[in-house]
Amino acid sequence: MNLIRLILLSLFIFIQVQADTIYNLIKIPNLEIYDIKTPNKLRYLYAKQPFTIGVDNNINCYNSEKNILDVKYEIIKKNLDRYNQKFLKKINLKYIVLCEDLSISKINTAGIPDNIMKTLILDIKFNEKYFERVIHHEVFHIIKDSYKEIFDENIWSNFNVKNFKYAECSTCTDKLGLDTYSNTDGFFTEYSQSTASEDMAEVFSHLMIESDLNNNDPILNKKMQFIKTNLLKIDNSFIL
Amino acid sequence: MIRKIKASISEKIIFIFIILLATFFFGSYFLIKDKCLFVKNHDPKKIEFNNPENIAVLNVPCGNVIIELYPHVSPNGVKRFITLIESKAYDDIAFHRVIKNALVQAGDLEFGKKGNIDYGKIGTGKSGLGTLKSELDAPFNFDKGSVALARTQKYNTEDSQFFIILRDEPLYETEYTPIGKVIFGLDALEKIKYLDKSQYVLRPDYINSIRMLIN
Repeated sequence: MNLIRLILLSLFIFIQVQADTIYNLIKIPNLEIYDIKTPNKLRYLYAKQPFTIGVDNNINCYNSEKNILDVKYEIIKKNLDRYNQKFLKKINLKYIVLCEDLSISKINTAGIPDNIMKTLILDIKFNEKYFERVIHHEVFHIIKDSYKEIFDENIWSNFNVKNFKYAECSTCTDKLGLDTYSNTDGFFTEYSQSTASEDMAEVFSHLMIESDLNNNDPILNKKMQFIKTNLLKIDNSFIL
Repeated sequence: MIRKIKASISEKIIFIFIILLATFFFGSYFLIKDKCLFVKNHDPKKIEFNNPENIAVLNVPCGNVIIELYPHVSPNGVKRFITLIESKAYDDIAFHRVIKNALVQAGDLEFGKKGNIDYGKIGTGKSGLGTLKSELDAPFNFDKGSVALARTQKYNTEDSQFFIILRDEPLYETEYTPIGKVIFGLDALEKIKYLDKSQYVLRPDYINSIRMLIN
């Protein structure tokens, strides 16, 4: 026992202070650069080891195998290349963290956006069926968090039928389905019905994946128009 | 009657060996103690510069560090730096934050002055000239020797503090306001005092002076 203590003590004595540049910038440990020479200046980082962050260490994510990372990176980059540097600067997004089995308070999630730290953490093992759409969904949360006054939830909620009410939070409901409805009735997916913010993100992500959505749903048409109009207020050259 | 005892050959050899050992020991002690021994001091007067008006000479314990400033990259940041150089505000200011082989940071005019250093507040001091807007748009390669203005966690909080990186830091582009690059004397910065277990240095090294080559 004493020997173990001695070894631990000697480790402490000889460990030097390290300059962890990435940690200093975005306060996430155990990351390394994956790619920073991108046309829109997004910096892609990956978890070289699992990391834990957040209030009471409630956010966890794990490192990936390189071959999985390489494949998923191409998909993510292809989608995020659609946002130019000027737009990304306006919405305050600079760092993309790639890891797997991302969870917040033990609930699995596709992404965690943080516009203050200019960071989007993405779970590269998230359901492949929705993977590309989810990338844009998470980007929308960054957009909305940076422009809360533009994406007014009260105006948005009034688009819905009178007796409809969103849940208190996105995890306070069982409405988590991400399949696109064939009969939309005001919402693209079951998850859209969780909160106004998630609803907006779902509309945005559907527009990004299929920009010429021709929908006969009057509520959804109003919602799509709201998103399109407000995106142009942020950047008049934004192309869906 | 006192008999003289002659030293044998082996005793003479041992005696010479002990003398040599002692000479080597004391010699090494003084050589190792002088941390600047192998640092080349650069005399700016002996160097020809393309833009002498943009050259600043930072004098530190191990000699001169020659910095070329880039007013075309960060006009406001460079202007602030030159203003403080010309008022000699950086003289006797501590290198309060030093990470071995990574960076040296100085320029806290309020809490980092020699003789009046405040270890509790160092790194938070102001110049009294107000904060500057971050200048991040121009492309800049943050390679070893780059000089940039320090800031708090928020943008647009640059003031008088600056840092010089001792290794390439590509992620710093669009994060920090670059003001120039060290073109000679980086090895003098590598000798600035650091601590193994803390980025903040107790009894730090100080800037002797910074002067513009052409006043």
